[in-house]
Amino acid sequence: MNCEVALILEHKYEQLQQMSDDAGNHVSQVFEKSQQYVKRFSRYKNPDAVRQVREILSRYQLAEFELCVLGNLCPETVEEAIAMVPSIKTKGRAHDDEAIEKMLNDLSLIKKFE
Amino acid sequence: MFLKVQLPWNVIIPAENLDAKGLLLQRSIIIRLLEDFAARKATKDLGYYLAVTTLESIGEGRVRQQTGDVMFPVVFSGITFKLYRGEILEGVVHKVLKHGVFLRCGPVENIYLSHLKMPGYSYMPGENPVFNDKVSRIEKDIVVRFIVIGTKWLEAEREFQALVSLEGHYLGPVS
Repeated sequence: MNCEVALILEHKYEQLQQMSDDAGNHVSQVFEKSQQYVKRFSRYKNPDAVRQVREILSRYQLAEFELCVLGNLCPETVEEAIAMVPSIKTKGRAHDDEAIEKMLNDLSLIKKFE
Repeated sequence: MFLKVQLPWNVIIPAENLDAKGLLLQRSIIIRLLEDFAARKATKDLGYYLAVTTLESIGEGRVRQQTGDVMFPVVFSGITFKLYRGEILEGVVHKVLKHGVFLRCGPVENIYLSHLKMPGYSYMPGENPVFNDKVSRIEKDIVVRFIVIGTKWLEAEREFQALVSLEGHYLGPVS
């Protein structure tokens, strides 16, 4: 998820700053653009909040990419969530609207208390 | 989407750096790995190479006959970025043209949203060209949520291009 990557890249950046005296390396364009992107597009900034988001989403038997899209885009309604990740509604999966709504509510609570 | 990958790699340490022992040697291997990694930029399978997260293992060094360098097989974990068809993402508009706009998302600069894939929007030329529909605008620096309909790997430039669309619910400019 973007917010997790933001924390990782931030940490990496600090590490590289510390190493830069003797190694003389600076970050690549790819790194810089990605860091700008994840910083801008992370809904959750606080590491504890990020951990909680991962924990909440993990309770719902989602595939990794489904978890990431939901964590990145933070849909507000069940309809929006299904539009973003249509696979959560395919037959045979245990995700009825109530479960999805509960999940979205839990996520928005974290945002409120961040 | 950001991916967590685990990769084998061969790090080559030139002979001059080899008289260091123990920790210093490990440090040169790590530095060399980071340099190679950054220089790679991207591959077709894994996407853009972003960062090395952990060094899982360093194997035994093997001396290369011709040059006297030593090659260390290592395994490391890292993060990459790749666009997938059908994925829904958010990006920023950086160029507006008559037939569509170009978006930037993560390390990818060449994401094209054609006018044909912006249902309801029409082009308004001017000093700050924009695409308008009844309620919103798509112009430079606007964040847009889109779906990826195709991707292309350009071997020569070592980068990806993507074709995206706004056809679908909840897609379009994001306030």
